[in-house]
Amino acid sequence: MSQVRMLVLIAVTLLIVLCSVFLGPRIVSPMATTDIDKEILFSIRLPRVLVALLMGMALGASGAVLQGILRNPLADPYILGISSGASLSAALGIIGGLTFLGTFTVPMLAFCGALVTGGIVGVMGWKRGGLWPDRLLLAGVGLSFLFSALLMLMMSISTDEGLRRAMLWIFGDLSMSEWPRIPYGLAFVMIGILLSTTRAKALNALILGDEFAHSLGFAPRRERFILFISVGLMTGASVSLGGMIGFIGLLIPHIMRFFLGSDSRMLIPASALGGGALLCIADLISRSLLPPLELPAGVITAIIGAPYFLYLLRRKDVLSI
Amino acid sequence: MSSASKPKILELDGVSYSYDQNRSVISDLSFSVGEGAFIGLLGANGSGKSTILKLGSGILKPLSGSLLLWGKSLHTLNNRDRAKLISYLPQTLDITVPFTIKELVSMGLYPYDIPPAMTVDDALDMVGLRDKADAHLTDLSGGERRRTFIAMTLLQGAGLLLLDEPLANLDIKYQIELLKLLRRLKEQRNISVVMALHDINIALQFESVILIQNGRIIASGDPETVLTREMVKHAFDVNVEIKGSGTGGIYVSYENNFL
Repeated sequence: MSQVRMLVLIAVTLLIVLCSVFLGPRIVSPMATTDIDKEILFSIRLPRVLVALLMGMALGASGAVLQGILRNPLADPYILGISSGASLSAALGIIGGLTFLGTFTVPMLAFCGALVTGGIVGVMGWKRGGLWPDRLLLAGVGLSFLFSALLMLMMSISTDEGLRRAMLWIFGDLSMSEWPRIPYGLAFVMIGILLSTTRAKALNALILGDEFAHSLGFAPRRERFILFISVGLMTGASVSLGGMIGFIGLLIPHIMRFFLGSDSRMLIPASALGGGALLCIADLISRSLLPPLELPAGVITAIIGAPYFLYLLRRKDVLSI
Repeated sequence: MSSASKPKILELDGVSYSYDQNRSVISDLSFSVGEGAFIGLLGANGSGKSTILKLGSGILKPLSGSLLLWGKSLHTLNNRDRAKLISYLPQTLDITVPFTIKELVSMGLYPYDIPPAMTVDDALDMVGLRDKADAHLTDLSGGERRRTFIAMTLLQGAGLLLLDEPLANLDIKYQIELLKLLRRLKEQRNISVVMALHDINIALQFESVILIQNGRIIASGDPETVLTREMVKHAFDVNVEIKGSGTGGIYVSYENNFL
């Protein structure tokens, strides 16, 4: 049954991706005959839709993994400050003009920022030999405020160009999507999804608690570390592609549990697909609703997702608390 | 405390443990668990019962002493091989993700590449929950939740169950139900059980009890021998009367303390 639902999800996601490529303020025919249409399709639409898809996939899968390893239904890269840490690190690199790894510099900085932030959150949440979910969450919220404040400080004192770029890291923006970063984003996101999906049994066991995970034959700390690396890769990729977009990581895993159950072996890929589909729809709406004005995609994801999320919270088969 | 004739599954010898350098939680602890044993670990809050079970299952590593599982050093065993021999159930089962009963029980297969002969349905049959396979944990009573996790350990194939206060927060009806299930599993599948518990009267139902105080064993053996007025006073700091039940058994009365 869940396999059939997974196939339906794949089909729906593909359909949404295709719609996002060809629809918008200007409808482009798949046969794109004119030079303008070709330009729109290959230079604007395709990179933008690919970035939305990859970012949504990364955020959805990261949320599913984080909610499991932290045993907290509120965990997502945004709330835990991992996104803002990645953003701050990437923004510092861009404004500081760092290019030591060429076009790979920004994704690498975002990845390192995500890992360092996650590490700090982990240290703050560690007490008496274990991770305390409430401490983690509070530490993440605190760090998130701090990093956002530092980004705003940078905005206040930087040049116009610096300001424009720093805005991107704070609010997320798909309109600046460009081809050169897509290969790195694709590689990071795919490695992150594969890594976490291959550790999905361990994630299921960690959801029950470290002692259960140990009893079922896993080494909880090692498994949590591997899964955390996968989150760092995916969040770093997402931020380096289009800045911070919140809510998808929180929302999508809960929706996917409702449709496909809680087994992480299904939930991680399903959350990736669902996250990708939601951000593609949100982006399509954001650029089509009031042209030529573009609304922030993060706003649309929240407006679409929040009421449904609140409805799901009322159902006990979605959340056991 | 196994009988001498039965093979020893778990042996702790001179085990000590401390969570911090200033205070030793477990000191020089030695005991063994034989095949098919049914042992109650009894002691006041903070006496070290949970720590002993975590040491026995390998979750905690002792500072000194040795732990043998089927004659092999517990901490040199591969994680998955260990999981096929021993299973630990913690006291709290607070799970925020809505797994179905079937999903939870099937996690017992995780240590295996090639699934064992027993299926999820077989395990659910043994604990009487087959008709609730698709229900969520929140739909079940406290007793049924415990049985769900027992089914998981059955599928896991472990011959030794270490259970941390499985009777806590259960109505007496569910306590009896769970104890009967565990006894049945011991009889039918020769599974050994070591269970931490508080209730002295429930401890009288065990084949053997180990009485713990401040991380040390102060008495062990047949419950009617161990649970004397003096020993209970020593371990729990309460005055009790040991009374005959009129049916050959005994029970512990606390009524003096309320006078």
